[in-house]
Amino acid sequence: MSRNKYYRITPLRVINLAVALSAVLVVVGFVSLCMGPANIHVKQVLMLFSDSGSIDQTTWMILFKIRLPRILLAGMVGFSLSIGGVVFQALLRNPLAEPFILGVSSGSAVGAIAGIFLGLSIDLGVPFLSFMGALFTIFLVMGIGRRQGGLESSTLLLTGVIVNAFFTAIIMFFISTTSDTRLHSILFWLYGDLSQSRYSQLSISFPIIIVVSAIVYVFSRHLNLLVGGEDSALQMGVDVELVKWLLFLGISLITGIAISFSGIIGFVGLIVPHLMRMFIGPDHRLLIPASALGGASFMIAADTLARTIISPSELPVGVVTAFLGAPFFIYLLKQRGSRWVQN
Amino acid sequence: MILKKLYITLLVTVICLFSTIIANAAVYIDSLGRKVELPGPPKRIISLAPSITEIVYFIGLGDRLVGVTMFSCYPEEAKEKPRVGSYSEINIESVIMLDPDLVIGTADGNKRSDVEMIEEAGIPVYIINPKNIDGVLHSIEKIGEVCGVTIKAKALVSDLRQRIRSIQKRVKSAERPIVLLVINMKPIISVGPDTMHNDLIRISGGRNMMTSTRVSYPKISMEEIIKIGPDVILLSSMERGGHFEKAKRDWLRWPTLPAVQKGNVYLIDSDLIDRASPRIIRGLEEMAKLIHPEIKWNESE
Repeated sequence: MSRNKYYRITPLRVINLAVALSAVLVVVGFVSLCMGPANIHVKQVLMLFSDSGSIDQTTWMILFKIRLPRILLAGMVGFSLSIGGVVFQALLRNPLAEPFILGVSSGSAVGAIAGIFLGLSIDLGVPFLSFMGALFTIFLVMGIGRRQGGLESSTLLLTGVIVNAFFTAIIMFFISTTSDTRLHSILFWLYGDLSQSRYSQLSISFPIIIVVSAIVYVFSRHLNLLVGGEDSALQMGVDVELVKWLLFLGISLITGIAISFSGIIGFVGLIVPHLMRMFIGPDHRLLIPASALGGASFMIAADTLARTIISPSELPVGVVTAFLGAPFFIYLLKQRGSRWVQN
Repeated sequence: MILKKLYITLLVTVICLFSTIIANAAVYIDSLGRKVELPGPPKRIISLAPSITEIVYFIGLGDRLVGVTMFSCYPEEAKEKPRVGSYSEINIESVIMLDPDLVIGTADGNKRSDVEMIEEAGIPVYIINPKNIDGVLHSIEKIGEVCGVTIKAKALVSDLRQRIRSIQKRVKSAERPIVLLVINMKPIISVGPDTMHNDLIRISGGRNMMTSTRVSYPKISMEEIIKIGPDVILLSSMERGGHFEKAKRDWLRWPTLPAVQKGNVYLIDSDLIDRASPRIIRGLEEMAKLIHPEIKWNESE
């Protein structure tokens, strides 16, 4: 039975799905580009593509130096976190798994906060430390979670929970001993903040994320088998340990990069993969591209709301993702149940 | 005759008794409308906020301070005083151990439960609640009154008021530029209309850029800033040294901003404008000079 649901995936179906969701992504991105506190008319935005010489400098600056990099960053973060969610859920065979549960995010947060305290630059220094924090955490968790030469899912999960708790304590320690303005930076980082996006950051992280995602996608068939159980995957000729290590590292890399630029944004890595699973089923050959593109659209939409709802002030984007995500997710669960459980 | 003598003696005694009570014990009403009863002028004072520490030193009672909170770094001598935690996390035990006869706190800085616990230990707590510059001046007078130096405090406050008036006079006829006060760079956080900072900007002859928000310390986007186009950008920073040069360079990336075109991007010491202390008048003077560089501040009026 478990093989039946995977058999009719043709490359054409994958391409169709990817094209459809990319179209959604482009539309969402365009709408987001038109929205913001400065009233820029859709016509003016369209003019950019036809006759950009006639646009005034202020409008050009708002569209290209403020809104566009932010939309790109939001898309990148949603993309990475959602792929992260899909892969972690499959590897750990646990519907709750996402980058947070393994401690990657809180490790990354500790790195970022250390960076803020050391007075490093928020453009590169803080993201770098936060990325190192993510990487350190994943090695720590995988080191502790290693049993008899193999990675055991339940031990990994538990280790993640404990490491998370420990790092949260460190974060709380920093917060309760700070009174100056650095507190703002820390708090906004903890709720997610996409307002600091620069092309220079994107140009480094985009290629890495695309390459790693492509590698992850190559293993989508292995992920299908792993979900059915490690033993059966082993019998089907999958080098389980190798695949697990590779995917854990790859996913930690891209989620670490994403979090380091965006701060902690909850729920995306959990909700988007589950939503997609409800609509298109559990096959990772479809699920990975669907989650990645859907996650990017979701994130851009959420960030657009974050920067427009209480304009001229802004909300942290994590507030929006949780506020929208949680009730919607509960509704869907009630309506359709989690396909995961039905398998 | 005897009865009359007795009567007078009794009257005198009663008056004497009363006057000693009046001289030594007093009831004050603090800014939250609570009654604070003091048996006499306090000799051992604990301050629950850095701004209060500054006020107590300002009215010349620094030597009566037996305890202060963390970040009480002004004046220099305050650093030597015993600490009783931070303003948001008061260590009640160390407060009691220091055996104060008066504790002074602030309404929006200290936790209500902390205040109540200190009072349950039998220590009077006087709460101030300055919301604007006038509130700061008023708090200084009130603290002076409670500590038994009413006249001195009033004289000092009247000097401060004189300095404010002198600023107001100079900026009165000047144009009022739009001022963006940035209290955090990344993300950009500014100040809303119901803050002390808004008061500072107004008195120094500027207009706060963020008037259409109800958030006290709104996080704002670069887009909003470009849309409105402030004439002056003030960066309030606790970080000294090279950080300002770098932050300034960051702002220079937006050449369409009037403030950048005119070269009006300045650093302002956050300690001078963030604290509800007498030093805020110095902050006011600094700010007025930055907002109105065209006024000749050194010339006498």
